[in-house]
Amino acid sequence: MSASRPARLAVLADGRGLSGGMLRQLFIGQCLVLALHLAWMPAWLVGLALAVAGYRFVQLRRGLSRAGILLRLAAVGGLVLALWLQFGTLGTMDGLVGLLLGVYLLKLIETHDQRDARVVVVIGLVTTAVAFLHDQGIPMAAGALLAVAWLLQSLVWLSGATGRRQAWRETVWLLALSAPLMALLFVTFPRLGPLWSMPQMDQASTGLTDEISPGDIAELSRSDARAFRARFEGREPAPEERYWRVYTLSHFDGIRWSRATPDQLAATLERPVDAFVREASRSPWEGQERARFRAELLLEPDSRPWRPSLGTPLESESRQRYLADGTLEGLTPLSSRSLLWLSSSGAPPTQPDPAGSRWHRLLPDDANPRTRRLAERLWRESGRDPDAYLDAMMARFGEAPYRYTLSPPRLFGEHRVDDFLFDSQAGYCTYYASAAAVMARMAGIPARVVAGFLGGERHPDGHFTVRDYDAHAWVEVWRDGAWQRLDPTAVIAPERIEQGPQAVDGGAEAFLADARFSPLRMREVRWVNRLRLEWERLEYRWQRGVIGYQRESRRSLIAQLVIGWREAWAWLDARLPGRGIMATALGLVAVLVVTAGLAWLARRGWQHRQRQRDERWLVGSLQAWLTRHGLAAHPGESPAAHLRRIAPRAGPAERALNDCAQDLERLAYAPLEEEERRQRRRRLANRVAEVRRRLPRQRRESGGAGV
Amino acid sequence: MNVAGVATAGSSYRERLRHWWLRRLAASMEDPLPQRRLFLIPTRFGLGWAVLVVVLLLFGINYQNSLAYGLAFWLFSVGVVVLLRGWLNLLGVTPGLRLPREAFAGGETRLGVILSARRDRTALDLHCGGARGRVNLVDGRGETELALPTPRRGLQPLPWLRLETRWPLGLVRVVAWVRHDVELLVWPHPVEEDEPVMHHGGTGLDASDFAGLRRFQLGDSPGRVAWKQWSRTGVLATKVFSVPPRQQLWLDYDACRGDPERRLSVLCARVLAHHRAGDRYGLRLPGLTLAPGEGEAQRRRALEALARFPAIRPAGVA
Repeated sequence: MSASRPARLAVLADGRGLSGGMLRQLFIGQCLVLALHLAWMPAWLVGLALAVAGYRFVQLRRGLSRAGILLRLAAVGGLVLALWLQFGTLGTMDGLVGLLLGVYLLKLIETHDQRDARVVVVIGLVTTAVAFLHDQGIPMAAGALLAVAWLLQSLVWLSGATGRRQAWRETVWLLALSAPLMALLFVTFPRLGPLWSMPQMDQASTGLTDEISPGDIAELSRSDARAFRARFEGREPAPEERYWRVYTLSHFDGIRWSRATPDQLAATLERPVDAFVREASRSPWEGQERARFRAELLLEPDSRPWRPSLGTPLESESRQRYLADGTLEGLTPLSSRSLLWLSSSGAPPTQPDPAGSRWHRLLPDDANPRTRRLAERLWRESGRDPDAYLDAMMARFGEAPYRYTLSPPRLFGEHRVDDFLFDSQAGYCTYYASAAAVMARMAGIPARVVAGFLGGERHPDGHFTVRDYDAHAWVEVWRDGAWQRLDPTAVIAPERIEQGPQAVDGGAEAFLADARFSPLRMREVRWVNRLRLEWERLEYRWQRGVIGYQRESRRSLIAQLVIGWREAWAWLDARLPGRGIMATALGLVAVLVVTAGLAWLARRGWQHRQRQRDERWLVGSLQAWLTRHGLAAHPGESPAAHLRRIAPRAGPAERALNDCAQDLERLAYAPLEEEERRQRRRRLANRVAEVRRRLPRQRRESGGAGV
Repeated sequence: MNVAGVATAGSSYRERLRHWWLRRLAASMEDPLPQRRLFLIPTRFGLGWAVLVVVLLLFGINYQNSLAYGLAFWLFSVGVVVLLRGWLNLLGVTPGLRLPREAFAGGETRLGVILSARRDRTALDLHCGGARGRVNLVDGRGETELALPTPRRGLQPLPWLRLETRWPLGLVRVVAWVRHDVELLVWPHPVEEDEPVMHHGGTGLDASDFAGLRRFQLGDSPGRVAWKQWSRTGVLATKVFSVPPRQQLWLDYDACRGDPERRLSVLCARVLAHHRAGDRYGLRLPGLTLAPGEGEAQRRRALEALARFPAIRPAGVA
């Protein structure tokens, strides 16, 4: 209670220990850094921060001794225990980030001198960088900028700033002056691949699964989370062409369709793995396929290495894993958003799957007897012609009272295809795809289910956003030496294909069931929708330009710059008369001269402004002006006396002249406060201008009177 | 780093080399600090900053995280800009000294340092010997006083001035050594005598203007009794002088006891005491005699003589 708060922020309270003001500064920095993490981290960290700050406050107020080793150990132990209770382990990335944050907050307990304070600031900077693992969007970047500015300002205080204004001015100078260099480094610094593997954040997976079992609940993600974004070079796909293939599901056990990975296939079929997958930058499976779409994909981070492609992937700028079923995988999962250039065919693959047609006809014998009978009947009726059979099957989907719904009844039985086709008759894409594939296989036609996305929202600037709720499943059958796409959903709910999932049954309510506060719910309100689109466009540019700025984009940007430079050089070369070194040298000299001239002018202007604040210069110029107008000073006459002498004859300028003389004298001799001094200087400058304005008229009049 | 120690000693080869080196590096007094005399030395925090940048860069590389790349580059760029800002903070500062008016051995003296520049500067640290101070230049001017210890008597070269600044982030130390040839005359440490003052020389009856007679009072000095008047008139009278004659004193080195430094200290204390009392005094040192005088000038002369008195081995005197 005896210690009163210092009026001004002093870094050191008693020559060594940090003052309360400086601790407050550090604490605010902690709060800013913590705010970056808070959306992903447990909320009790806020309590921890407040507790530490409160402890230091009481300690400083009461003049208590420093925290002992026991208290510090107990604090760290408590932190570790709390994190362990929260995450179950400290080994995961979340646990490690929590540990870093907690240590950062607890460090304030034992922050006593300048060095400690600097350590706190450095930990804060590291913690800010770690926040980028959660998210790299614009809000995060803006928040991080604020936090970094605050931390730098703390360092400026620690180095001896004398006032708040000075500290902020210096911080802003530092940030502003260093920004161009930062931008240059960001653009030119070579991007390397990861040097060693690090613990990764648990990334949320998209709604896409590599296993579907119609009838189970909660398998279709109905969130509006973004899966990826795409921008096309050249032709854009029409709505009915936007089938993004991700996985093929070729194994059916009677209930669920699951994906057979290349390793599983190799083990099952006793073939080498590279018969099913090869690492390349060009598809080794497709021969002379013509690339119809060339897309730049901006992929969201995901814990699985899937990569979408519009049809069959043909060529990419970087090495990828090309699977024999005409899908694509990355070499690693994505821990952050990244770009992928991909050419694709827009159609299912034309090459047979090396797993063989038998693999794609496999069915459990005793499952779904009713469906089997239906298939046999249709097969007979269509005269054992596969194409006619498939047409009949699709037609049946269109005729029978099938209903497309995002919330179908649950199915529990062993013969789920039977239950769906003959009893419930309601479901969404995976139900129909599963049933269609099963029926095709029953007729001996190789078939598989493809999981991927259908559609995507086209933004006014031309990029597409594909979201989790765009996830879709359809069927591919092997006919006439190629895989053919067969989408039963298109028969049952054509509007799903044309307008997206929100167009069908239940509409917006059902498809956004997992996203309660999504702005997508407000599509009907025009201005909200416009705002949303604008924001998404900005976000897309940010993600593409800044966050996705990795190896490929860097290479292409540098290449563009080089091309631009060459063009500029060629342009210059063509225009300049000498067309050689002389011309270049002349141009450079001209640029230098112009720059130097501009600098000189700026400097002169600045000096002129400085001089105008000097009363002697002001009055001296006024006297010179008066001399030119025939009102010179007598030898040995002081400036003030000169002005006073001519004042009575100056008519309208008399008052201004007298004021000038008085201000000049006061400025020269009176002990004035700085504020008043400035004020008087300003007044003097105004008065001098006034004299110049008013005097000539008067002189012309009195000139006639014979001066 | 005590440059002055080097300057005076200069005994060993290495010391001489260092001195020569520092003399080459140092800037001169009363001139704006030039570019070539400013040195940028990273602090420990600055090295830590470099480690931080590398760690953030590795973080960015391993997580392929563009914002982490950006932060690493920004902090690196801030480090580069800090070099420039710190350098500009010290460039063009004109150092000047204001010597202390008096300095006694065994104490400390206040050395005034005046810094001026065309722009305002922040947090300039001054080092001189062991003393340090901090100056902010406001309106192009700032000054501070450094407490310099003065252990010994005599003419002493002042340590060189070191100007440095860690502004704005403490990552780097911008250092300038300022050389000068200023010497400080340190007076002896005054020691009060522990024995009664002995008067030497005249009794203090210095001729002065005779102002008249007055009746004798008990206690008047017999030397001032007008005996002639008494023999003529039988009235005991005392001569009165217009200005009472002050004691004329001789402070004598040989009359003091102890080793030479002690004698000088005693003499120093007496000079101060007599000056305070307004006495007239002279000073006798072996090989130097200062005629009696008074006032500030005499005090300075006497103290300077004591300060400059060559140090003699005690054996040589005894």
